[in-house]
Amino acid sequence: MLESYLPLVLLFVLATGFAVFSVSVAPLVGPRRYNRAKLDAYECGIEPSPVPVAGGGRIPVKFYLTGMLFILFDVEVVFMYPYAVAAGGLGVFGLVAVGVFLLAVTIAFVYEWRLGGLDWD
Amino acid sequence: MTPTYYLLLSALLFTIGAVGVLVRRNAIVVFMCVELMLNAVNLSLVTFARINGELDGQIMAFFVMVVAAAEVVVGLAIIMSIFKTRRSASVDDANLLKY
Amino acid sequence: MFQATLGSQDVAQSAVNIPEIDWQAISPVVVVFVAACLSVLVEAFLPRERRWSVQVTLSLLTVVVAGLALGLYVNSDAVVGTGGITVAGQAVPLFSADYPALFLWGTLLALSFGALLLIADRSVDGGAFASPVPPAPGGDPVQYQAPGRQTEVFPLALFALGGMMVFLAANDLLTMFVALEVLSLPLYLMCGLARRRRLISQESAVKYFLLGAFSSAFFLYGLALLYGYAGSVRLVDIAAATAGTDRPETLLYAGFGLLVVGLLFKASIGPFHAWTPDVYQGAPTPVTAFMAACTKVAAFGAILRVLTLAFEASSWEWRGVLWAVAIVSMLIGAVLGLTQTDMKRMIAYSSIAHAGFLLVGAIAMTEDGLSGTMFYLLAYGFTTLAAFGIITLVRDGNGEATHLSQWAGLAKRSPLVAVTFAFLLLALAGIPMTSGFMGKLAVFSAAIADGMAPLVVVALLASAIAAFFYLRVIVLMYFSEPAQDGPTVSVPGAFTTAAITLGVVVTLLLGVLPAFALDWASVGGFVS
Repeated sequence: MLESYLPLVLLFVLATGFAVFSVSVAPLVGPRRYNRAKLDAYECGIEPSPVPVAGGGRIPVKFYLTGMLFILFDVEVVFMYPYAVAAGGLGVFGLVAVGVFLLAVTIAFVYEWRLGGLDWD
Repeated sequence: MTPTYYLLLSALLFTIGAVGVLVRRNAIVVFMCVELMLNAVNLSLVTFARINGELDGQIMAFFVMVVAAAEVVVGLAIIMSIFKTRRSASVDDANLLKY
Repeated sequence: MFQATLGSQDVAQSAVNIPEIDWQAISPVVVVFVAACLSVLVEAFLPRERRWSVQVTLSLLTVVVAGLALGLYVNSDAVVGTGGITVAGQAVPLFSADYPALFLWGTLLALSFGALLLIADRSVDGGAFASPVPPAPGGDPVQYQAPGRQTEVFPLALFALGGMMVFLAANDLLTMFVALEVLSLPLYLMCGLARRRRLISQESAVKYFLLGAFSSAFFLYGLALLYGYAGSVRLVDIAAATAGTDRPETLLYAGFGLLVVGLLFKASIGPFHAWTPDVYQGAPTPVTAFMAACTKVAAFGAILRVLTLAFEASSWEWRGVLWAVAIVSMLIGAVLGLTQTDMKRMIAYSSIAHAGFLLVGAIAMTEDGLSGTMFYLLAYGFTTLAAFGIITLVRDGNGEATHLSQWAGLAKRSPLVAVTFAFLLLALAGIPMTSGFMGKLAVFSAAIADGMAPLVVVALLASAIAAFFYLRVIVLMYFSEPAQDGPTVSVPGAFTTAAITLGVVVTLLLGVLPAFALDWASVGGFVS
C-alpha cells in the first residue's frame, strides 16, 4: 500500500534537493552585476509607481471601489448555484423567491449605477 | 483521515485569526484576520455537514461567504474613508476617543 | 466512515417542503424592507434638493404603516401568536411572530420613530449628517466640517430596523446571523456620517466595525459548533439535542459560549462593552440614540429567545456564568460611569449598567422574567432616546457641548431643558414615579421569585452607585455657576421637540400607569 507512494517521496526529495542546491550554489559561483532595474521593486515590467503609503502617496481609490463592487455582486450570485441544483423540487415558490432576491440585487445595482459607481473617470 | 482533523484545523485557523485581531495594529490586517476567522468557520460548517451526511452546512457556508463579502465592502469603505481623512490605517493612531 | 454524500440528483428530485407564510403576521417586517428598497431607489433617482423631504416622509410613514400593520394583526380575528414562516409538519415556525416578537416589534417601531425624528431634524445647525468628503489638506481634521448634507442615513436606518425586527424573531441561528449583519452593517456606516467632528465619528465607525465583525465571527463559530452538536441550527432542535446524553458536550458548551459572546457584545453587556463608550461618543448623537434604544431591544430579544428556546434544559450549566457576566456588567457600568467627564460617555456607561440589569431579568427564565425584561426594554429605550435628544440641543461654537463642565448651571440658562434632563436622569436612576423604577421593580421581583436574591442585592448596590453619577449631573446643572463662555441651548425644531416629548411622556406614563404595558408584555411567551 505505502510502496505506491514511493515515487512521490522521491520526487519531493529531488525537488527539495534541487531547490537547496541551486539557491545555495548560485551566489557562490554566479557573477554579480547590479543595476537600477534589478534593485527596483518588481511590478510586471512597468515603471514602479510611487508607493501608496501613509504620508504622501496617492491611493488608487478607483481600484478599491471597483474591486469592492465586483466582490459584492460577484459573491451575491453564489446563491444561484444551490437554486439551480434544487430548482426542480422548489417549483414556483423557489422561482418567486429567487426573483425577489434578484430584484433586491438589481435595486442595489441601479443605485450604484445612478451614483456613478460604474464610471471610471 | 477522520473529519476531526478538519475541525482541529478550523479551530486553529480561528484562533490564529482571533489572536491576529488582538495583536495586529493595522486596521486592514485586523480586518483580514476577521475574514480568516469567518473562513475557519466555513471549514467547520462543511466538515460538520460531511459528518452528518447532509448539505445544510454547505448551504450555510454560502451564506457566510456572502455575508463576509458584504462585510468586506462595508469595512473597506469605512477604513478607506478614515484613511483619506487621516492618511493612516493604524489602529493606534485612532486615539481621539479616550476619557 | 462517512455516510454517502447526497448527490445533486437526489436533491433536485426530492420534494422540498415549501414553507407556509402567514403574510399578515410578518407584514410589519415586509413593510420595513420594501420601504428600505424604495428608499434606496429614491436616493438613486430623485434630484438632490428634493431627496431630503421625500426620505423623511417615506421613512416616518414606513414606521407608522408598519405599526398599523402590527396593530391590525394583533387585533384581527386570526389566531395571534403562532404565525410567521412555518415549514409544513413542524410546530415551531422558522421565523416566529409570537407574542414576545410582536411586543418587541412594536417597541422597536415606536423607538425608531423617535430616533428617525431626531435624525431628520436639521433646524439646529443644519442637521448632524454630512456627505463623506475628506477635508482639504492642511485643515484641522479634528474639527473639520464637511460641506453639504446627505440623506443616505434614511435607507440605512430602515435596513437596520428591518434587520433588528428579523433578529429578534428568528428561530434558527443562521437567519439570526444574517439578520445580525443586516442590522450591524448599516449601523457601522451610520456611525461615520457626522457632519462635525468627522474624525472622531469615523474613528468610532472603524472601532465599531472591527469589534463588531470580531464578535459576529464568534457568534458564527458558536453557530458552527452547535450545528455540529445538534445537526441543525434550529433552536428547537438544539433544545431537543440537549435533552439527549449521547452527544459530545464539549461542542455544546463551546458553541453556547461563543454564541453568547456574540450576543452579549451586541447588547453591550459586561466585559464585552469595550466599544460602547467610544462609539456612543463618536457617532452622531441621533444615531447614538437609535443604537442605544433599538439595538438593545433587538439584542435582548434575541438573547431571551435563544436562552429560552434552545438552552432552557441546560440552564443549570450556564446560569452561573451569566450571573457573573451580569454582575461584572452592572459594576463596570456603575463604577466607570462615575469617572466620566463626557456626557455621551456617561450615558454609554449607564447603558452598560442597564444591560446588566436587563440580563438579570433575562436569565430568570420565567414568564415574569420575560415580561419584566421586555417592559424594561420599552421603558429604558424611551428614556435614553429622550436623553440623547436633549444632548443634541446643548451646543457651543464647535457643535454639541458634551463635556460635563459645560453643563454647569444649565438650569439658569434654560430651566425647561434642565428640568426635562433631570427627570430623564432620575428615570435612568430608577426613582419612583418614573418608568425606570417600574422596570427595575418588574425585573428584580422576577429574579427574586426565581431564587436569585444575591444577584438582586448586587443589582441594587450597582443602582445606588449609578444613582450617584446621575445626581451629580443634576447637582451640576442646578447648583453650579454657569461658565462665562458656556454653551447655548438651541431652540429645538419640531422634530426634536416631538421626539423628546414622546420619550418624556412615555417615561412618565410607564412610571405612573405601568399596568397596561406590563399586560401587553405578559400576554404570552415564545412558541415552542
